[in-house]
Amino acid sequence: MSRIVLWSLGGIVLGVVLHLVAILSMPTFVTRSVWSKVLELDNFEKIVVLENIEALSSNPLKLDPELLYGVCRLDLANGVGILNAQMPGDFWSISIFDATGRAVYGTTNRSIVGQSLKLGIFNDEQIKLLSDQELDIEEGLLIVESQLNDVFVVLRVAAPYKAVRGRYREQLAKAICGSA
Amino acid sequence: MKFLSRLLLFISVALLVGFGLTYLALEKGGLFGTLRIGPWVAWKEIGSPNPDPYTRAYAAISSGLEMARAEGIKFTAKQDSDGNVLVRNCSYRIDGTTPESAFWTLAAIDYNGASITRLGADIVMHSSRINRDEDGSFAINVGPILASGNWLETVGTGNFQLVLNLYDSTVFSGFGLQDDALPAIILEGCNE
Repeated sequence: MSRIVLWSLGGIVLGVVLHLVAILSMPTFVTRSVWSKVLELDNFEKIVVLENIEALSSNPLKLDPELLYGVCRLDLANGVGILNAQMPGDFWSISIFDATGRAVYGTTNRSIVGQSLKLGIFNDEQIKLLSDQELDIEEGLLIVESQLNDVFVVLRVAAPYKAVRGRYREQLAKAICGSA
Repeated sequence: MKFLSRLLLFISVALLVGFGLTYLALEKGGLFGTLRIGPWVAWKEIGSPNPDPYTRAYAAISSGLEMARAEGIKFTAKQDSDGNVLVRNCSYRIDGTTPESAFWTLAAIDYNGASITRLGADIVMHSSRINRDEDGSFAINVGPILASGNWLETVGTGNFQLVLNLYDSTVFSGFGLQDDALPAIILEGCNE
């Protein structure tokens, strides 16, 4: 009887180890990551405004149908990532994620004065150049640091009424996203 | 023979514990990294710069465009306030208040993330476009059964989940996180 208990306890310990290995390795082995979905958007150094989410249709990026989304992908090895946008609406936000899906930066319009968004995304090397004053940057530029070169930017805009969605969509599409 | 049966027991227990814990952690959100308020569950670290391993694993399999922490927080509910799984042939009353936020949206989706609302009807409920009581509380009916007031009309059969997105919310400030900080999900009735 005691041997059965011992074997069972051993099984529990191995089970916990299996569980921890599964949790820790999952980000590495998942093939349909958010980054792989972003790669399919043809949005390298340009903003792509995502299609509206309709009822009963698939929603692979799990978007809130109420919002408008602009997504842009950048490789900081090409230079400092620059985002320049005149944002529409009473509520908008920006988030930046790296290729592992980790959030690099996020804020809402509550923390930014006005509708103008000017943002620079720097890797470690570029930040060093910036601190050594070897890089010229525009005044008022929000500075964001990323440890990885592969990043994507997500702009979210809330349209208060359906009637303004088209206009907001057009304005969001005008956002400039690229490298300098 | 005894050794083989004990080895079989050892492997069975290991697999049961290993996969069981992983299922509990990621599907039920019941172990680490989640914030539970009544029937609502949120992965509170999902938009932070250094999420815990459980959140990273969840984000990997979820593979959605998540919000950074400063933008807001997403709660999901797969059960009503009595612990019963949400099913599409039943109607539920979402009743109560939410923590302070710039605005919030409520959506009904299937387990693959597709909206289950009727074509042509509202696809989400928006905090600024609903009727409220004088004290600011609200009641939203979600389901296929005709309802007065705020009604998110759903169609189809099978299980579903509710998603409550709070934008620019005070949830992370730690205030008002009692069980009634988020609305209750109350079963109203079911179609045959």
